[in-house]
Amino acid sequence: MEQQVTVAIIEDHPVVTEGVASWIRSDPGQRVRLVQTARDLTGLRGTARLSDVVILDLELSGELVTAQIPELVAAGYRVVAFSGHSDPAIVMETLDSGAHAYVSKEEGRDHLVEAVLAAAADRPYVTRSQARAMLADQRPARPTLSEQERQALLLWFQGMSKASVGRRMSVSENTVRQYISRARAKYAATGRTAPSKDALLARAIEDGVIKPGEIVPYQSFARAVAEGPSLGAPGQ
Amino acid sequence: MTAVQPATGQQATVHPATVQPTAVQPTALMSGRYQRAFTIAVVFLVAGWHLAGAGGQLLHNRLAYASFAFQGAMWLVMALAIGAGSVLVLRGALGWRRAWAVAVIALAASTAAAAASPAGQMLAVNWAWGSAGWTGVLVLLRRRFSELACFLAAEALAVLSVQLWDGLHRTDLAGFLAVFAWSTGAQVAVAAGVRALDVAADQAAAAARSEEAARERAATAEIISVARHARWLALQESAVPLVAELAAGTADPGDAQVRVRCAVQAARLRRLLAEGDEVPGPLVHELHASADVAERRGVAVEIETAGQLPQVPGPARRVITDAAILILTAARSKARITLAAVAAGIAVSFVADTGAVVRLPPAGEGVAIEQQQDGGMLWAEARWNNR
Repeated sequence: MEQQVTVAIIEDHPVVTEGVASWIRSDPGQRVRLVQTARDLTGLRGTARLSDVVILDLELSGELVTAQIPELVAAGYRVVAFSGHSDPAIVMETLDSGAHAYVSKEEGRDHLVEAVLAAAADRPYVTRSQARAMLADQRPARPTLSEQERQALLLWFQGMSKASVGRRMSVSENTVRQYISRARAKYAATGRTAPSKDALLARAIEDGVIKPGEIVPYQSFARAVAEGPSLGAPGQ
Repeated sequence: MTAVQPATGQQATVHPATVQPTAVQPTALMSGRYQRAFTIAVVFLVAGWHLAGAGGQLLHNRLAYASFAFQGAMWLVMALAIGAGSVLVLRGALGWRRAWAVAVIALAASTAAAAASPAGQMLAVNWAWGSAGWTGVLVLLRRRFSELACFLAAEALAVLSVQLWDGLHRTDLAGFLAVFAWSTGAQVAVAAGVRALDVAADQAAAAARSEEAARERAATAEIISVARHARWLALQESAVPLVAELAAGTADPGDAQVRVRCAVQAARLRRLLAEGDEVPGPLVHELHASADVAERRGVAVEIETAGQLPQVPGPARRVITDAAILILTAARSKARITLAAVAAGIAVSFVADTGAVVRLPPAGEGVAIEQQQDGGMLWAEARWNNR
């Protein structure tokens, strides 16, 4: 048996903390161990890292804490955001800040423990609400997704199981996971830098989810144009 | 859910009828309008007095003055002071500098006119005392009452001083007191009257204002209460009995049936809360309506959107909602509807536990429909392309 993943819950509503703790307890493999609960982030500051993963409610005492994620990530925590906010802009901000995954409160029961395990292993985990935010992303610096990646994200967002998505796309379920993970890895390669994003990307390359050459962040397109031998002026 | 819609409708009808008049704020204007009317009345009174009363006296006694030209000049100075004062008071509240400048000019002109009158006959031929007093009333009307009292006293004192200079006789003093009583009394009475009317107008405006505010409060309260009532009704018929049963222990959370009911009510509450904070297009609205119907049958329905959705024309919308109704009717316990912006259009998808294949309407109006059955789960997508 692999070593248990340790987790802290940062959540200002005790009833939610209790619910999350019960999901963790009811995991058949007992793969996750809850080591700390807190109502705010003060307990995590200035001390040695107490857990592998932090389940972070994005709104603590009425305030969004997305800006605190980089600090947690820098301290070595993997962050799984768990929030009632499903606004795609907040989801993207959360991922850009270095959180591993985003789980909406409606998705918690089915996805939270799996997202924690994926985060501890630096592997991508994409919930439907996260897929929704990626599909809705219109920021200029968004990564370029392939047609299959987009289609897999769309079908997953629509509510199909990954097996059904595979049947729909005439590929294996594993390939569907690969498409979705690759899309997520591309996001890790854009925007702000964070150790958690680098780790996710390195693991994705190691796992063969994405090849180094496939990491085409937005900026490199301009670079490719500038470096291209036959293309003189940019924009041609 | 359907009960919420009348609430917004109600809002549209109740609001303009009862609340909008306050936007004009008639009460704020009301007291101002009355006060202006009183000011205009005083302007006419003062100007009328100076023209007819003082002017008439001046012309009538023109032969008695040592210099009619000087008296005429003083009359003109007084007329100019009254003109300036009128303009100033009609423009708005006067500062003490301007008010007293006009008052002092009037006082000086009247004293000069009195001093230039023949001794012994001064009171009989004096046109200026009244005019100066009225000018004081005009410019000091809306200032502290003591200022007007000071001015009128100074004016009377100036006239008395001239009489003393001329050599005061007993009969002169009686005349002085008579004129003082009549003229100053009238001036004080007018000033006090206007002040009383101002107060009355203010009170009337305040009463109207509070009445208006009360009416507005009542209208707002009504709108809120109607919306709250609609929401309450919607929950009353569904969520509340369930919570009551759970609390009483008659509904067992371990029972699959109870869990289904909880899931449906949770979905309903989520949609109730979500519907308020976004402005969905007609398609989303129509899908919400279809979801309401399914919910009454005990099907938990989620609706989610992704991206900026394009406007879908009516006929295409009908094809999509027809498909939605068929799928939701066939759904056994849960359904998820998503609307996603895709290149050149919109993808509306349905995932539901229909158990069997649903016969969907033919594609048309630019909408292509595809479906796939995996075990008991149906996936269907209606894709509208604007090209």
